[in-house]
Amino acid sequence: MTSEGPVVFDPADFGAIPAAKELRRWMRKVRRGKADRTFWQQFEDIYLVIFALVMVGATGGNVILHLNEKSAACTSASCSWLLDTVPWILMPLLTSWMLRVLLSVGPVSASRATGFWLLATPVDRAALLRPTYRLVIGVAAVVGALAALIGFALFGAAWSLVGEAALLTIVLLTCTACATVWAQQSASRSRWALRIADGLLLAATVPAVVLATRPEANTQNTTAFVGVAYIGPYDSTQFSPPFVTTYGFRLLVIGLVALLVCGVLVVVTAQTLDKLSRQSVVAGGELLAGMAGAAITMDVGLLADVVSGRHWRQVGRLHSRRGRSSHVQAIMHREFLRILRWPRRLIVGFGLLVVPYAVAGTGYDVLVPLAAAFAGFIATRPLMDGLRSVSRSTGLVRALGMDLRDLRVAMSLVPALFVILWTALALPALGDAATAFAVGAGILTGVIRQASAKPPSYAGPLVASPMGAIPPGLFSQPIRGFDLLLLCLVPVLLSWSPTWRLVIPGFVLALMFAIKPRQPA
Amino acid sequence: MTKPAPRLAVEGLRHLYAERAVIEDLTFTLGAGQAIALVGPNGSGKTTVLRCIVGSAEPAAGKILLDGLPIDERAEVVRRDVAALLDDLDFFPDLTAAEHLDLMARAHGNPEPEDLVDTLLDDVGLLAAADQLPGSLSSGQRRRLALATALVRPRKLLVLDEPEARLDTAGVAWLSERLQEEKAAGTSVLFASHDPELVEAVADESVELTPLP
Repeated sequence: MTSEGPVVFDPADFGAIPAAKELRRWMRKVRRGKADRTFWQQFEDIYLVIFALVMVGATGGNVILHLNEKSAACTSASCSWLLDTVPWILMPLLTSWMLRVLLSVGPVSASRATGFWLLATPVDRAALLRPTYRLVIGVAAVVGALAALIGFALFGAAWSLVGEAALLTIVLLTCTACATVWAQQSASRSRWALRIADGLLLAATVPAVVLATRPEANTQNTTAFVGVAYIGPYDSTQFSPPFVTTYGFRLLVIGLVALLVCGVLVVVTAQTLDKLSRQSVVAGGELLAGMAGAAITMDVGLLADVVSGRHWRQVGRLHSRRGRSSHVQAIMHREFLRILRWPRRLIVGFGLLVVPYAVAGTGYDVLVPLAAAFAGFIATRPLMDGLRSVSRSTGLVRALGMDLRDLRVAMSLVPALFVILWTALALPALGDAATAFAVGAGILTGVIRQASAKPPSYAGPLVASPMGAIPPGLFSQPIRGFDLLLLCLVPVLLSWSPTWRLVIPGFVLALMFAIKPRQPA
Repeated sequence: MTKPAPRLAVEGLRHLYAERAVIEDLTFTLGAGQAIALVGPNGSGKTTVLRCIVGSAEPAAGKILLDGLPIDERAEVVRRDVAALLDDLDFFPDLTAAEHLDLMARAHGNPEPEDLVDTLLDDVGLLAAADQLPGSLSSGQRRRLALATALVRPRKLLVLDEPEARLDTAGVAWLSERLQEEKAAGTSVLFASHDPELVEAVADESVELTPLP
């Protein structure tokens, strides 16, 4: 403080508004000045992660190459038909998913600090948001390339076709990303974009249902599936992937034109970034920060919490519905009402029934229980939010006045009924009741285990790692739940007798409800 | 004639955080219809004492007896008779304020809690926010809802950690009145507070805690 009196505001003291680029350069300089670690020091800490990613990438690439080779050897009309059908499922599904994911984070987002300090200034907003916009476009393009690569290569498409599909998918998803930026500029546009996403999801189910109910289903030769390696004795002489010769050139031209249009769209959309409201970009930034926190702890459940928490904050107000009965029955009734409260989850859950039928339609019978179990897991997990809440809050358990084990049983009963219904509806695809029981038990025990996961505690003993001190068990977090699911499926995957398919999952199920869970910290 | 056992008896309580004692040899008793206030500066262990009493923290030594029996949060009697408001209460993100209270009351065996829920919502000033989800409530409203959660269920012992926090003046006045009604109804009240007026109005006795070196 000086003794010269109060500071008088004089606009003449201020020069021209700085360009966003200058501002970023200045921030970079300040940050570098404060950095206490060199690039190589940071690299030393994360080299193991990079090494692991490279290894996983290389292994994944090899697996795809291998599967492409094996699938391409399939000459039957079924395989050809399957390859023709895949784009009609994959494209609307990808576009719908991309629309939803991007709109949930903005797609253009900024941290709270940027929103508070920079977006409130007269600095060019479009220029400030442009790096995030480029990132969104880049991510959409990479996701498109990967999805097409995996989706088409797995079903044995020729590599030229995979390349064309990748190009078109990149264009499609990049245009989708541009559309979401446009939709972000007003609430009504966002609502319309979400409706279109729902429509596309429905559109994707049509070819999936056709595939599932195709009369030739299950007629082709299928072979043993061990792990992820498919080994099929197909005749390679008759196979001719569609499009590759007849439409190849035309597709290439179309692809290049689409790429040009896409480029123009990206540039035009970039000019509209100044129309984005501060609130819309900061909300996405906060969601991403929450999800990043959950990702650091490798907590899949917490990631889902962040997303559903945001949904309910946006809903804000609902018509209260009184419960019924008392004690455990009251909790069960409330769980029933809770599940009905977000009907989209139920619709998607039942919609996922198409997965086991579609896989059965492809003829890969050995894959059906596994696909059904994972689809059932994804369908049921969102119905476990009640158990998720009590498993994370000592206060909530205390307020309800019940033992956590009793609460776990009470809160699992309604989702368990859903699992029973879902598995019963999937029974024709699964084949026999013992397999259906194993799949149902795997889904139920898996979702209960994942929903009741405790957050990793940094207050207890920690283990030294290249990424710093971490709680023991951190790396097992992502597989929590899936471990029990696979355990229940072991007798099915190893083709053990129906007795084992009942005994092992039954034992896991009994153990799940008998063991007293640890109280949340 | 033998003197009845106090509802809550804390004898020689000791608690450690990372080998350092934060509570040392704390003893007090609380009878039915009485109120004790835990007072002291931040870090003196008020919340820790309350956490030990509700079973969220394990004391290193000492005894905590409820109606003459060692307190154990796993015991049904404790879950039934001890209502607590600590800083660890969370809410179901998809249930409205009214639905939360409705569920809590029913879980404790009240099959028709509609009138009680409406009265409590009115008392804590949340009637207009009855249909709001917790995520859309302000921090003060969430605090009021948490308070109502402790009051919507049957209780013999009410344990409150700084119940006046984030309440406005009218809210603190209501709280003071309500806690006196609780005492009159025979409930034992144990609360930690930084509000001398609330302590003066409600507590029969104060236990002063000081940070240990």
